[in-house]
Amino acid sequence: MRSPVALRIVVVAGFLFLYAPILSLVIYSFNESRLVTVWSGFSLKWYGELLSDPQIIGAAWISLKVAFLSASIATVLGTLAALVLVRGGRGRAVLGGLVTAPLVMPEVIIGLSLLLLFVAMEGLIGWPGGRGLLTIVIAHATFGAAFATVVIEARMVTLDRAVEDAAQDLGAGPLRVFFDVTLPALAPALVSAWLLAFTLSLDDVVIASFVAGPGSSTLPMVIFSKVRLGVSPEVNALATLVIVLVSCLVLIAAWVSARQRVPEA
Amino acid sequence: MSRTTLTALLLTLPLTAQAQETLNFYNWSDYIAEDTIPGFQDETGTSVNYDVFDSNEVVEAKLLAGSTGYDLVVPSLEFMARQAQAGVFQEIDKSKLDNYGNLDPEIMRIIEANDPGNAFGIPWMMYSVGPGYDVAAVTERLGEDANLDSWSLVFDPANAEKLADCGIALLDSPSEITAAALNYLGLDPTSEDAGDLDQAMALLSEIRPHIRYFHSSQYINDLANGDICLAVGYSGDILQAKDRAAESGNGIEIRYVIPEEGALLGFDMLAIPADAPHPDAAYAFIDYFLRPEVTAAVSDAVFYANANKAATPLVSEEVRNDPGIYPPEATLTKMYSAKPHSARYDRSLTRAWTTLKTGR
Repeated sequence: MRSPVALRIVVVAGFLFLYAPILSLVIYSFNESRLVTVWSGFSLKWYGELLSDPQIIGAAWISLKVAFLSASIATVLGTLAALVLVRGGRGRAVLGGLVTAPLVMPEVIIGLSLLLLFVAMEGLIGWPGGRGLLTIVIAHATFGAAFATVVIEARMVTLDRAVEDAAQDLGAGPLRVFFDVTLPALAPALVSAWLLAFTLSLDDVVIASFVAGPGSSTLPMVIFSKVRLGVSPEVNALATLVIVLVSCLVLIAAWVSARQRVPEA
Repeated sequence: MSRTTLTALLLTLPLTAQAQETLNFYNWSDYIAEDTIPGFQDETGTSVNYDVFDSNEVVEAKLLAGSTGYDLVVPSLEFMARQAQAGVFQEIDKSKLDNYGNLDPEIMRIIEANDPGNAFGIPWMMYSVGPGYDVAAVTERLGEDANLDSWSLVFDPANAEKLADCGIALLDSPSEITAAALNYLGLDPTSEDAGDLDQAMALLSEIRPHIRYFHSSQYINDLANGDICLAVGYSGDILQAKDRAAESGNGIEIRYVIPEEGALLGFDMLAIPADAPHPDAAYAFIDYFLRPEVTAAVSDAVFYANANKAATPLVSEEVRNDPGIYPPEATLTKMYSAKPHSARYDRSLTRAWTTLKTGR
């Protein structure tokens, strides 16, 4: 039944579908012309312009900071929430529903409600003072935590409690058990939850544009506001650099996890 | 205050955490000269947080929620008028602006239709809404002696039909397009009369089959690439398309005209939010901007005209003598500005527009 030729065609078509747009974006970042769709010769000038554009570089730096901080917070919150959801007592169903609600809520609503919350809080308790990096981090950690919880919970369900019981039998306290047994077993899920939250934060433009304040425009916000005048190849150059960076990170992550697996065996 | 300082220290880069005077400025994207902000910073020592936006709606949501942290924002005039009614802005104290007298009284009078007494806003840049076209493609289809300086280019169904194959785009903005149609019909462009609206819609539905799409920004690249040959859009955007086509050397020549029948004059306004943390810095910046040489540099960079009369001689000839950017005296008297609509008229306009767009 299965013909290797048909299978290969499907594989090639699948990869094309996924990577052809990215490839064309990379190719056009080396385009001389200002028009994104007209090829007029090889040039590195857009990379030069990108590096001398303080607005974009500043926004990229802000985005990375926000993504790093919010992903870290989201992973910690997600771990705690997953722990309660898997091991907790009554009210788990309600908590589960509440934690995962941001997954299905439209971003506009999350953004607007957080904006109103921040304004109200500032009026009542004076914190957070104004909108800025902090409010974007809080907002991103909020919806990042929802995704992180789902990922970590899925892993935690499969953990064998007997291992933890054994550790306790051997005299380890609950904290020791958590840090020495539970956490290492969860590590792969923690890494993927962190990466997921990081990517989502880097991606978000709707929520950020509501809760951002003076001097805290993230990269997607800046790019999006430039779209009105058509995307300049500078954005292609930036995207290419991001793709290179992300590919390197993924390769390093794969290499590290491959090395770690060796002693286990 | 200490709490604010603490959060500021936590939040900002060491560069901007200085206790010196700050200005938080929120402007449209790509709407300023490269040296405007650095020049202000060098001169006053004020550090500027410059952020950009791309839609009046996002700005409005933030302004209405309150405590945006911004000292200076640049909404479009009609939006500013509505927000001012909601108490979002503080009145401009003109005695703090030494250069206020540079503004053209004629233009300030047009603005007064929306901002009585010019109480809340200082014009940043101004634009018009008119047709921009690919000269070669349009002359080829309409003939050498067609009148290309008239709204009949778009609104005459015979012309629209001939241009349909190379592509016509209209702004997706009911108030601006309807006003142009009313004006073309010789009616009051700000009319809210139901009969007038019917006439305008009848005119628009006649050309509707020949319109390729309604969109408020896509036409910039499409004109430059030659994918469409006629767009009714914002003057600055069409001139950007012209610039881009020339830069890419694809042989397409774009022309923008303010038609002889007149066109809508639009403004983006500098306004100070009522709860601005640094109003003094905002005044200092406005006064700096009103200097002729500063305003002129912005106009040169973005291809928009300004309301600063003293700046006109300093604007480069290419921009100043372009009748698409600076309307000639004779046309200026036929220009009109939009007025805020009553909610009732807005509803019937939106309904008529949707019917027009969907072609039902």
